[in-house]
Amino acid sequence: MTKPKIATVWFEACSGCHMSFLDLDETLVDILSKVQLTVSPITDFKDYDFPEVDVGIVEGGIGNTEHKEIAEKLRKHCRILVAWGDCAVFGGINTLRNGIPKEEVLRYGFIETESTINGVMPIHKELPALLDKVLPLHEVVPVDVYLPGCPPSPEVIAYGLTEILEGRIPVLPADMIHFD
Amino acid sequence: MEPKSKIRLTIDGNEVTADEGMTILEVAQQAGIHIPTLCHQPALSNWGGCRMCVVAVQGLPRLVASCVMPVREGMAVVTTNERIIKSRRTVLEFIFAERNHNCMFCPKSGDCELQQLAYDLQMDHMTVPQSFIPFSVDVTNDYMGIDHNRCILCGRCVRACAELAGNHVLAFQNRGPRSLVGFDLNETLKSSTCYGCGVCLQVCPTGAIFSRQHTHYAVKGHAKAWHAIDSHCPLCGLLCPTTMVVTDNTLLKVEGRLMAAGNRPDRGQLCARGRFEVLNDAGERLRHPLVRTANGRWTEASWENALDRVAEKMNVLRDTLGGQVLFGIASCEVSNEVLISFRDLLVKGWSAGTIDTFDGSHYRTVLAASRDLGHPLKEASWKQLPESDFVIVCGTDLSERQPLLMSLLRRNVLETGTRVAVIGPADIMASFRSFYFATGDDDLPAWVDILWNMAAQASEGALNAGVKPKRTGLPERKRYLRDLQKEVGMQAQTRKALAAMVSQYLASKQPLLIAGEALSSAQQPSALNNLAKLARLKDLDSGGRLMILKRDGNSAGAWKLGIAAENKPGPKKRLKAGLMLLDGESAADIAAWTGRSSPEFLAVISPYLHTNLLDKAQVLVPRPCWLEEEGTYTASDGNETAHVQKVLAAPGDIRNTWQTLLALAERTGGAAALKTLEQLTQKAAAELNLGIET
Repeated sequence: MTKPKIATVWFEACSGCHMSFLDLDETLVDILSKVQLTVSPITDFKDYDFPEVDVGIVEGGIGNTEHKEIAEKLRKHCRILVAWGDCAVFGGINTLRNGIPKEEVLRYGFIETESTINGVMPIHKELPALLDKVLPLHEVVPVDVYLPGCPPSPEVIAYGLTEILEGRIPVLPADMIHFD
Repeated sequence: MEPKSKIRLTIDGNEVTADEGMTILEVAQQAGIHIPTLCHQPALSNWGGCRMCVVAVQGLPRLVASCVMPVREGMAVVTTNERIIKSRRTVLEFIFAERNHNCMFCPKSGDCELQQLAYDLQMDHMTVPQSFIPFSVDVTNDYMGIDHNRCILCGRCVRACAELAGNHVLAFQNRGPRSLVGFDLNETLKSSTCYGCGVCLQVCPTGAIFSRQHTHYAVKGHAKAWHAIDSHCPLCGLLCPTTMVVTDNTLLKVEGRLMAAGNRPDRGQLCARGRFEVLNDAGERLRHPLVRTANGRWTEASWENALDRVAEKMNVLRDTLGGQVLFGIASCEVSNEVLISFRDLLVKGWSAGTIDTFDGSHYRTVLAASRDLGHPLKEASWKQLPESDFVIVCGTDLSERQPLLMSLLRRNVLETGTRVAVIGPADIMASFRSFYFATGDDDLPAWVDILWNMAAQASEGALNAGVKPKRTGLPERKRYLRDLQKEVGMQAQTRKALAAMVSQYLASKQPLLIAGEALSSAQQPSALNNLAKLARLKDLDSGGRLMILKRDGNSAGAWKLGIAAENKPGPKKRLKAGLMLLDGESAADIAAWTGRSSPEFLAVISPYLHTNLLDKAQVLVPRPCWLEEEGTYTASDGNETAHVQKVLAAPGDIRNTWQTLLALAERTGGAAALKTLEQLTQKAAAELNLGIET
């Protein structure tokens, strides 16, 4: 029997969800023995020409054109797509900029901050462009599983993955949902 | 009255009975059936704004808000089904989508009713896109802030400010998606007429109104480790019922017990002092007993050594020179139990000649006024405020002293048309009072004298009431009055207003006079005496019309338990040694006492290190602050006592104050009669002849 393949990505986020995944302790060994981790920040494969995977896991909100493109690619190549953590589920802390015009956000971040000298706006054809607003994953591509939390606790991650591996679409019970 | 017939209905198939006028929600709650709510707050009026509590009623096409729907005979109510859940969840998603309800950077995450509802309804994502209209954040108050981005417009704060605080500062402004809760329309927390009582913070179900003293204190389920302890606030003598929320020996917040207010007219409010200032750092703590050595240096000492040193000195002086040279001075911010042990130690153990409180001068003024009056001065209770139709506030800034009373006054003015007159340095309640007369504390006695003479002149009842005006014969009194008015520089316009006020006072049915600390601190008691005579003019049902504000939280207890000294006639001996029992007394208070006498030996029992005592005292003994020690306190009207619970552990190995005092009593040669806190509580209750509010 071949092991189910998993791909994970992180977009506009802090990597906390991946850290929380590593925080699974001995359960991590158990889960990793049942799956094959392909593209992931953990494996450090940065090739986003995804193989066909069973489960795609997304940490982070969709903040620029690259995030959008990768999310769309991942959606095409995975059976079950998981929005992982508050940023992927709701947009998260990144949405703090959503009430401010993006030019203003960039200008402040790259030109006006006190620590910046001779700042340059990050606008170039080689660079992904910032979207007007940070979006939750499901506003860009259809999502199958939502695991909110900032980050989702190891218990929530273990519950979600175990359910998926056993062939069910997990729905978090009330006492497991946390937004903080 | 005939008992109303019961209404019968079913909720989720259970047969229940209800009284006429009850809502579906009330009946369900009574029957133990849970219906989620959000804008509803049981201490406030029903609103019906959020639709979270919708239920299905057989025969009605639409779901109804159970918090405002009255029950009817034969109603069949369903509180949970797929349609209802879907409706609630949709409403919840709309609320979440409307503004910034991202919990991970909200200071109140984990202590939020909106968040809990999302969990309960398993809202693991939102099916509608969020709107990102930015709103302002107001942090102009030291203790709380308001973030309109997190507001759900439930109106709890608006109702609480109006219905509980009676202040009407908060109101909805703007329209549609830009609606917000404004302070006096476009003012800030600071620039508005808000008194910062924080009742809005207590009832806010989200992070919109948040504490600035503790943030992110409930994230990740930390609220599960909280202890909520029901207690009372002893700070000003109104003994407001509180719930103290504590975790890890840290006081997180103090809430008023809105629903447990019982017969209290304030309905469970708190003031900024009781809610917020309590959480402030009160100063450097004294953690171990300290003694001053022969070369003048302070060193740490064991409890036994420190207490031995105090007892030896006091015992020797008592046995050689007599107790007349010994003194004790106590804070009035300590419990009845501590006051009793202090008094017994000084009086029985050391036969001390002088025992007094820091507010002793107020007590003596009240005593003297009572003596001049020729009969005991009957004090009115603050609980009489709601029935009062004319209130004169004299010589106090209530917003500093007892802000809660201002809330009662404001509510009276608005709800029952009570008229309020203010005489004093601060025009408190500028938009609520009918009269204001500006005067400094120095002129106050003359003002009250004028007031009394005008009232006596205007009232034929003065003689009937058996109180003779100071000067007999009308022309002479007229001249006296005119001289007084000239003395304080009173203009004709003010005279006219004062006359109008006096006639309104005399025409009122249930007036109340509030005598502030400026009157009782006056060295000559005539001011208080005149106000008492004014009260007596209207004291027809002998319910007492004069309320005397006390300076400290347990002043009434200290006065009634005989700690504050009467001025005894006879020669005074020089005070050689004494014991000072402190709480959070100001440096000025302490200096006022140490400036009068410089004894050769001073022992201090205090929670804090008062640096200005370091060159005065010989022994410093730590004690718990009021949050760290259980005890009963007496209300400022002297009518009841209430339990104040221990909510925090004292730092280090600090012993309870009453235990320290008992340990000293055991060293005086005679054993203390009372050995436990329970015995002390019973003794205090018996001496005060009062029950205890738990």
